[in-house]
Amino acid sequence: MTTLREENRGRARKMGLIFFPAFDWAITPTHPEREERLLYTKDQIFEEGLMDLPEVEEYKPRLAELKDIARVHFCIPSVESLVTEAHLIAAGSTLVLADAYMKKDITNAFALVRPPGHHSMRVAHGNRGFCNVNNEAIMVEYIRRKYGIRRVAIIDTDVHHGDGTQEIFYHDPDVLFISFHQDGRTLYPGSGFVDEQGGPKAIGRTINIPLPPETPDEGILYVLEELVLPILKDFRPQLVVNSAGQDNHYTDPLANMRFSAQGYAKLNEMLAPDIAVLEGGYAIETALPYVDCGIILAMAGLDYSNVREPDFVPGKFTMSRTMEANIVGTVEYLQGIWEARDELTETAVERAGPFFRRRKNIFYDTDGIQEKQTESVKMCPDKSCPGYMTIDTDAVRGYGMSDSGFGVFVPLFACKRCREEAREEYEAHKTDSRYNYVYFQDKNSDNFRLYSTRMHNERVY
Amino acid sequence: MLIGIDVGGTTTDAVLIDEGKVINTSKVPTDHDHLLECLMSALDEIVRDISPKKIERVVLSTTLITNLIAEGKADPVALIIEPGPGMNPEGYTLGSEVHIIRGAIDFRGREIQALDERQVQNAAAKISERGYRKVAVVSKFGQRNHTHEETMREIVQRTSPDLQVEMGHQASGRLNFPRRSATAMLKVAAQDKYREFADQITKAVSSRNIEAPIYILKADGGTLPLATSVEYPVETIFSGPAASTMGVLALTPPGQTSVVVDIGGTTTDLALILDGVPLMSSEGAKVNSYLTHIRAFAVKSVALGGDSRVRASGDEVTLGPERAGPAYCLGGPEPTPTDAMRLLNMIAIGERVLAEEAMANLGKDLGCSAGEAAQKVVDAAVEKLLSEINGMFLAWELEPAYRVWEILQKEKIRPQNVVGVGGGSLGLVPLVAERLSARGIIPENATVANAIGAAVARPTMTLTFRADTERGFYTVAEDGTTGEIRDRKFGQKEAESMAKKLIVELAGKMGIKEYASEAVVTHSEVFNMVRGWSTSGRILDVSMQIPAGLIPEWTGGGRV
Ligand SMILES: [Zn+2]
Ligand SMILES: [Zn+2]
Repeated sequence: MTTLREENRGRARKMGLIFFPAFDWAITPTHPEREERLLYTKDQIFEEGLMDLPEVEEYKPRLAELKDIARVHFCIPSVESLVTEAHLIAAGSTLVLADAYMKKDITNAFALVRPPGHHSMRVAHGNRGFCNVNNEAIMVEYIRRKYGIRRVAIIDTDVHHGDGTQEIFYHDPDVLFISFHQDGRTLYPGSGFVDEQGGPKAIGRTINIPLPPETPDEGILYVLEELVLPILKDFRPQLVVNSAGQDNHYTDPLANMRFSAQGYAKLNEMLAPDIAVLEGGYAIETALPYVDCGIILAMAGLDYSNVREPDFVPGKFTMSRTMEANIVGTVEYLQGIWEARDELTETAVERAGPFFRRRKNIFYDTDGIQEKQTESVKMCPDKSCPGYMTIDTDAVRGYGMSDSGFGVFVPLFACKRCREEAREEYEAHKTDSRYNYVYFQDKNSDNFRLYSTRMHNERVY
Repeated sequence: MLIGIDVGGTTTDAVLIDEGKVINTSKVPTDHDHLLECLMSALDEIVRDISPKKIERVVLSTTLITNLIAEGKADPVALIIEPGPGMNPEGYTLGSEVHIIRGAIDFRGREIQALDERQVQNAAAKISERGYRKVAVVSKFGQRNHTHEETMREIVQRTSPDLQVEMGHQASGRLNFPRRSATAMLKVAAQDKYREFADQITKAVSSRNIEAPIYILKADGGTLPLATSVEYPVETIFSGPAASTMGVLALTPPGQTSVVVDIGGTTTDLALILDGVPLMSSEGAKVNSYLTHIRAFAVKSVALGGDSRVRASGDEVTLGPERAGPAYCLGGPEPTPTDAMRLLNMIAIGERVLAEEAMANLGKDLGCSAGEAAQKVVDAAVEKLLSEINGMFLAWELEPAYRVWEILQKEKIRPQNVVGVGGGSLGLVPLVAERLSARGIIPENATVANAIGAAVARPTMTLTFRADTERGFYTVAEDGTTGEIRDRKFGQKEAESMAKKLIVELAGKMGIKEYASEAVVTHSEVFNMVRGWSTSGRILDVSMQIPAGLIPEWTGGGRV
């Protein structure tokens, strides 16, 4: 089996695993994100004895610190009010594994944890698509901060478009975000089209692969082999993260794809992510126990050929000609974008002028919040600087209350000029009565400040 | 009067207890080939002047099964498994005669593939042809649905009536198929020889006119009537460290947190008592190369003892892991930790002059005086024990947890006491205690604490109940009991009262009915099953246990 990444060869193979089913936490008692979600998965992986394998090291979760959340999110009205302990534990689990991975105690890792996070965006007013805070983004920024690495690839293999993760890293040329998912015209959150390619300074660093409903293993593995793996080879990431949703499964109640446990295991074997983090997946009896078993075995470098759903037979699902043509077309188009990314970036920056601006409407399905944003990114003349960003946000809750905020964001690798200008923007807006909250997120100095214009106080994370 | 006898690696220790006081003790050398004789001579020594009628309870620990398995003398067992989907079953290391059968049951006990009965038949024929007399039949998730294991047993018995068959769900009902398979194999492998031993004990004790009930000590520090223990032969392994830990529990104030340090010749056994409850290993015990479901204390064996080899490397000393022989001060060939402690007057055995000579020789290699060399040896021993003890606390803190409250409530625990027991180098105990800012305790009767522990240990038991109201049945993991649930409104209250009823039945089967009322619910959890946005049933998990503890007749605790 060729599952080891080149640089890991020769090292003893051990995958790190955190299993945190949060058996005492639910959004609501009948919500898909409830206590029962990983119950049968627990039965299956414990009955298999996977935790006893010498290739598997089980770790205990810990709570993420509020600062780890603040490094990624502008939480309104505050970090504390947006996260429960369960969210801190899910995020903290990824940090435990990140540390173990970076210290080379393990060769790769899987955070089999809930609640999920990939629909959470930079500004967080509440729960969107079952997510409050973005576990992968929190982990990636923690690792980049603590271990000084720069280039990261996040592959979102959930059936839903990873719109939160995409939005957080949209303007960051050092983070490659690739999401394949069921076509947004047929599924929540209704985004993730091929023309969402990254901000002007990061064109091609966001790759969206919408797939037709009912795409089986063959189609998804084709995308992986023909598009994702070659792009990863070009990009040479220092860390590969799998945002590992399991709702592409053929029995998932919330989506319509036809991926199998064998497909998921094969995907993880081929992709060989350094760290995988569970996202969605709500076929709690028919898919998750088998899919998770397959992923763990594949990541541990073990034989997964005997993992199969009770009703699965090889060849159960096939692709039609039309479907195949559709997928091949998408792959070819995106290959072209990737090839041309440098020229496209140049043109886009030119066209944008000194600041790139866009307006967004964001709907929080779970909490019924309607948010309006205006995002503005400085097109910094320094080529290696992504430029600082500001976001003007206004969120209306169901009962008509409105929360407004102004966030200033300094990327990790920002130039000095951008850092200074961003600071001035923050100070200037502290007296701006249009906003309830003003936020300063300086990843460069790891300094995060939330100012309440009503209370006139500043909270430093 | 209470009697406890612990068979150790080198000596067999016995105590006689009356009204909370140890009134007689004995120590005889252990002869592993003649365990019965050892046990009886240790017993005879303490009851010599006692009327047998006064004896109320006899508890034994035995190394029989430990040695039987370690020496490969247990009966050979073939295995027939029905692994279903999951790991490649070829990857299991469960002996040399393993037959893999098609068929599968899932996590909720539903048949997902019919059992291939023809395959079972062929396997049984082959197994008996190869000369096996014993076989274990185990299905993945067989504890949630016994029918395939029962069919396999019937087919095996029909095909080869000479084969003795053990079913997985009767050995253990806990999750973990490879461990359940190994536990079932070891159980059937050890059962005949254990039964023989139990019969001999019964006869030998009754020939001494002792009519008191006889109990056996288990690896989890609990006792079981000898008569019913034949159903649980493998649970008697590793009862030695369990006896020492129970001894410390008996000899220290209740409810405290202690480190148990049992220093022997070449190894030191460490165990923890947290808030008065001995710490169990989170998974079952490892028996030889087999991971099992056998509940045992979390005991850490460190390769360091009074007779360990001492070497100079530069100006540092290293200790162990091999034995150097008896101490130089006791006529041995080379310096040992015992010599170091003798020279520093931490212990009083052996010739001081010889100890000084040994340390002076070591000092030459280290470039220091005899006294300094002795200090270095002692420091190294203390450092080593400290790092192992801290490692045990850390491992406990880092045990995985699956619920929010478990993560939030677990805090750092530090020991209040470091308690030294056994015959070894107790001089190290106060030094280790000081470094842990704890109280060093060497209880009165420390050298027979193990036998005291056996004498006063109470029975232990667990009950792991799961109900699935949608499918309408419940299971008990410990003995594979299943039954129907017809009440669609069956909830947490009903589950708990059912568990309480079942634990009384289980206690009856184990012969410890009078203790059932001491069982407490340790965990109770409800999962609403939602199918299509409406509740279709519930999964209810209830765990109950009688943790390791002391019988009420013991009134001697906490005098330190
Ligand atoms: Zn999803
Ligand atoms: Zn700049």
